[in-house]
Amino acid sequence: MAQPFAKKDDDHDEEEDYSPFLGIEKSAVLQEARVFNDPQLDPRRCSQVIIKLLYLLNQGDSFTKIESTDVFFAVTKLFQSKDTGLRRLVYLMIKELSPSADEVIIVTSSLMKDMNSKIDMYRANAIRVLCRITDGTLLSQIERYLKQAIVDKNPVVASAALVSGVHILQSNPEIVKRWSNEMQEAVQSRSALVQFHALALLHQVRQNDRLAVNKLVTSLTKGTVRSPLAQCLLIRYASQVIRESSLNGQTGDRPFYDFLEACLRHKAEMVIFEAARAITELSGVTSRELTPAINVLQLFLSSSKPVLRFAAVRTLNKVAMTHPLEVANCNIDMESLISDQNRSIATLAITTLLKTGNESSVDRLMKQITNFMSDIADEFKIVVVEAIRSLCLKFPLKYRSLMNFLSNILREEGGFEYKKAIVDSIVILIRDIPDAKESGLSHLCEFIEDCEFTYLSTQILHFLGNEGPKTSDPSKYIRYIYNRVILENATVRASAVSTLAKFGAIVNSLKPRIFVLLRRCLFDSDDEVRDRATLYLDTIGSDMAQETDNDAKQFLFGSLDVPLVNLESSLKNYVPSEEPFNIYSVPKELKSQSLSEKKTLKKTNRLGAPPSGPTNLIDGYERLLSSIPEFSSFGKLFKSSAPVELTEAETEYAINAVKHVYEGHVVFQYNCTNTIPEQLLEDVSVIVDTSEAEDFSEFASKPLRSLHYDSSGQLFVAFEKPYGVPVTGKFSNTLKFIMKEVDPSTGETDVGVEDEYQLEDLEVTSADYMLKVGVSNFRNAWESMGDDCERVDEYGLGVRESLKEAVTAVIDILGMQPCEGTNSVPNNSRSHTCLLSGLFIGNAKVLVRLSFGIDGPKQVAMKLAVRSEDQEVSDAIHEIVACG
Amino acid sequence: MLLAVLFSNNDGNILVERFHGVPAEERLHWRSFLVKLGADNLKGAKNEELFVASHKSVYIVYTMIGDVCVYVVGKDEYDELALAEVIFVITTSVKDVCGKPPTERLFLDKYGRICLCLDEIVWKGMLENTEKERIKRLIRLKPPTEA
Repeated sequence: MAQPFAKKDDDHDEEEDYSPFLGIEKSAVLQEARVFNDPQLDPRRCSQVIIKLLYLLNQGDSFTKIESTDVFFAVTKLFQSKDTGLRRLVYLMIKELSPSADEVIIVTSSLMKDMNSKIDMYRANAIRVLCRITDGTLLSQIERYLKQAIVDKNPVVASAALVSGVHILQSNPEIVKRWSNEMQEAVQSRSALVQFHALALLHQVRQNDRLAVNKLVTSLTKGTVRSPLAQCLLIRYASQVIRESSLNGQTGDRPFYDFLEACLRHKAEMVIFEAARAITELSGVTSRELTPAINVLQLFLSSSKPVLRFAAVRTLNKVAMTHPLEVANCNIDMESLISDQNRSIATLAITTLLKTGNESSVDRLMKQITNFMSDIADEFKIVVVEAIRSLCLKFPLKYRSLMNFLSNILREEGGFEYKKAIVDSIVILIRDIPDAKESGLSHLCEFIEDCEFTYLSTQILHFLGNEGPKTSDPSKYIRYIYNRVILENATVRASAVSTLAKFGAIVNSLKPRIFVLLRRCLFDSDDEVRDRATLYLDTIGSDMAQETDNDAKQFLFGSLDVPLVNLESSLKNYVPSEEPFNIYSVPKELKSQSLSEKKTLKKTNRLGAPPSGPTNLIDGYERLLSSIPEFSSFGKLFKSSAPVELTEAETEYAINAVKHVYEGHVVFQYNCTNTIPEQLLEDVSVIVDTSEAEDFSEFASKPLRSLHYDSSGQLFVAFEKPYGVPVTGKFSNTLKFIMKEVDPSTGETDVGVEDEYQLEDLEVTSADYMLKVGVSNFRNAWESMGDDCERVDEYGLGVRESLKEAVTAVIDILGMQPCEGTNSVPNNSRSHTCLLSGLFIGNAKVLVRLSFGIDGPKQVAMKLAVRSEDQEVSDAIHEIVACG
Repeated sequence: MLLAVLFSNNDGNILVERFHGVPAEERLHWRSFLVKLGADNLKGAKNEELFVASHKSVYIVYTMIGDVCVYVVGKDEYDELALAEVIFVITTSVKDVCGKPPTERLFLDKYGRICLCLDEIVWKGMLENTEKERIKRLIRLKPPTEA
């Protein structure tokens, strides 16, 4: 008896699994579509065929031109049927087929008829189909109907016309703009959806007219908005008005803030969230304005709906970048989200906590993150690694636990991008936190023992070669490096050979042992590895004369004397020939970079791109200047400023200047670019007037012989100044040159005329005598410096807009490095302490502790405590502030 | 813009896909991305529990209803909350058409009606209708009751 039952069950299962579209084939369905042509239409059958066609289209199947034309013509026949279900499918099918312009004409009359039908739903659907498939010419014919439809008493018809309007606006804006009155009427509609659609359309039409948008928002914020969707739109438009009014420098109360704040109490969560986000995104938002928004977002954090939790944590994550203190109130709720099932929410919570956390919570956070890391995908892990890096730079004292965390995750499985993010982070920490150097290098060494990525191995070996020899026990790294020579591929082996050579060149005690290892590399199977070994053995092993030794170091550690960009373009232009490539033919002039180039460089300036780093730029300057005989006696270059633009953008000549400061001299380097075609400049020089810089006297000048179109060149003017004294002054500059017209066809020039071109003034300020050098632990550095040469004084800074502005101004005047993130001032705080460190001219270490206070009428007072190794330097810093 | 609405079965086979403003060559990428997202997260998920993710500047909200996975993708004004609204309308309409959270078979049986619902809900990348009763009437070409 059991058998038949079992069989029945089987049958049932089969039926369950059987798909109505099983084995569906396009050609068969197209055949079936012939039923559309039957004189006696069977609506049920036709509907089934249309559904099959839709299934094919929705699966990503496409029809050929002929197939879709055939189907389209057949479908148009179905307008004869009065069956509503079929008609609805016909509308959909025509939209899906999107017939070409010459075919549309077939259905136009049927659709126009439906547009004027007494059946509302025919009207609505016909409008949607027509607007989807017609072009501009037909639109003008139906415009009258569309205008009527917008104010139709049936909301479905009105909505159909309004939404169609949004789409027509893209192709034929002038038509939609004529519907202004009707749209205004629709905005006041009692139907929620009509109001929503009308508001969206009206705003799109007027979005470029600021006054009109302002008026629209003002009237609607006072009136009734019926749907939460429309309310959200209104909030967005209101924040647009706020943004634009603040751009125009309007002062006083922020318009519409009260409206936004009232929306925080709306019954729809969507509206509450929209308002909260709008408030957090206000420019220059104050803590008072932020608080109510943060409060509602905090409530959302514990919502049962994942979407709300995600939205809230995402918004708070953004706010944390600018207002970490305000978001810190949500930390407890945020911590519970670390275990959220949705990994996106958990990652956002972690990264927010890393931004808002304080020093004492770091260890606890790290523990929680460790458990969480194994559950998430690489892309989330990278976000976490980057957040940890910034946290470590913020709290350098915590480097130990953060570095340990990074080394642990470095050992786990992961893709290239993830590993690269970790390695980059460790390298940055080693560079910025001297105490972290040894442990960081050890972690990197262990990593390369088992690293599957050639790129990362070679980068780490390069870095190890530069940093390892300077550590207390360089010998411990040799084993890791030589293992690479034994175990890795040729690229890594060649890198390892270079790294070994660097250790040999710097650490004399290791030299003999390094030679043994390098000699073994002479038998390597790869040419490059053998060549490098031979080269290095020859360079550092020839004899021990001081001069050769310096040359070897210069060869190993110095970068090429030419900018890499110039070298790259020269190599590209080099045509292989008998004559070998000559590196001396590469121009040494540094072309000033465009803004976009600078941005890309900044992004890529990690492990792989040291040449663009500031130190290397200064190295480049130093080499450039020492190659000029007139300046060779100036001694060591102390500081080079960032380029200062002396001309406005897009003028005839683009000129910027770099200030190079020596103990007893200052050199101005003028970088000039000629932007006028058919013009050649010769004997270009700058006449500098020092009447407002009495302590400086011109010492030497190096003009530029010629400057062609679209090329750049440098000229220099050097000044003598009192030795070691930070004197300041203002210099006015005039460019002087002979301008020659160039005949483009022959390249010949005329005799030329003398001309002058006024440039902006250049100033040497006290900040030019200060190098930004950070310390990893300010308190330790401060205590160990002692108060022997301390000087403390108080200053009134007068009325300031905010404490933040005062702090930034003082930091700029001093030109020192802010430590431990103390340069960021919480909004509306009444007092603040800022810690600075730097190296003053004469290589004197300086530490500064600034305490600020602001009172009701915005009077700012400052206490300045300076410690240095020399009382004169401490006094000089006070003098700078007193004069500034 | 609502960039995509996609239905798939448990095995990742596409049942319905509608893209708006996504170039044809990117559709395959989106399809496999979404299906993988579902395969990673939807296994064992509760019926209609919402999942959310963001990929670059695009938001994704997805869920499981019966045996069918639903994904909606949006950007700009269609952020996670707006998408939650869209997916809510879609799932309620699908349930309404099928009478219960659908099996794959039931979904395919009601395929035509579901396509019509989608047509009412999303119009060239914009949310048009949000109430299931209204949609139910509209797909039968009946005016909504509020008229």
